[in-house]
Amino acid sequence: MKEVIAIIRVNMINKTKDALLAAGVPAFFANEVLGRGKGLGSGLPQDDKGPLEASLRLTENQMETGRLFAKRMVTVVVPDNKTDAVVSTIIAVNQTGNPGDGKVFVLDIDDSLRVRTGECGESAIC
Amino acid sequence: MPLVMVRSIVRPEKADEVLLALMNAGFPGATKLFVAGRGKQCGIKIGDVAYDELAKTMIMTVIPDTDKEVVVKTIVDAARTGDNGNYGDGKIFISSVGEMYTISSGAKESGARGDTL
Repeated sequence: MKEVIAIIRVNMINKTKDALLAAGVPAFFANEVLGRGKGLGSGLPQDDKGPLEASLRLTENQMETGRLFAKRMVTVVVPDNKTDAVVSTIIAVNQTGNPGDGKVFVLDIDDSLRVRTGECGESAIC
Repeated sequence: MPLVMVRSIVRPEKADEVLLALMNAGFPGATKLFVAGRGKQCGIKIGDVAYDELAKTMIMTVIPDTDKEVVVKTIVDAARTGDNGNYGDGKIFISSVGEMYTISSGAKESGARGDTL
């Protein structure tokens, strides 16, 4: 089993839900989080990306810790054979090609247990 | 190069200092979550009122395995209160990350040493 953690844009959550459902993964949970990457919020030098980003950058440079952007964290636990499909679905749905689209992490899960029935392993998440 | 996820649970008022320290150490990427929890002190008792869950902030960051010690030291130095630390300063958990993708490019990150993730 794998845990797929995706940090995505706030307005992409509904599309992601629908796409995961279509990919056969109805179960997931989501958190409201704040985050920054190596892009705008990081305080690192950026390529010139136009006046809006330049003005955002100006404000950020005045902030010590960099700007934290509102994001959604989506967590799905899937069997090994569905991992690649889930990762590519999330990437396909959330990709706009701009910085800030987010990240996807894949972690190992040793075991899972359904509280209602007590069953363990992959049958607990399917 | 293997990647690890560092989840640190710190005092909410220390979160900004930890994020600043991580930025200065060259690790800008981070995610902040508001959580509630308790440790081995089972919360805190002030007078007659017992609080068994305390507000904490979780800072989640994914880094190359080789930068683990630097990051842990950075977080500990920033999050510890007083000279010797106090109960409630928090915990750091580290778990391995199998794969990591950047959505905007669709690329799989390799996590080379010193890579900014």
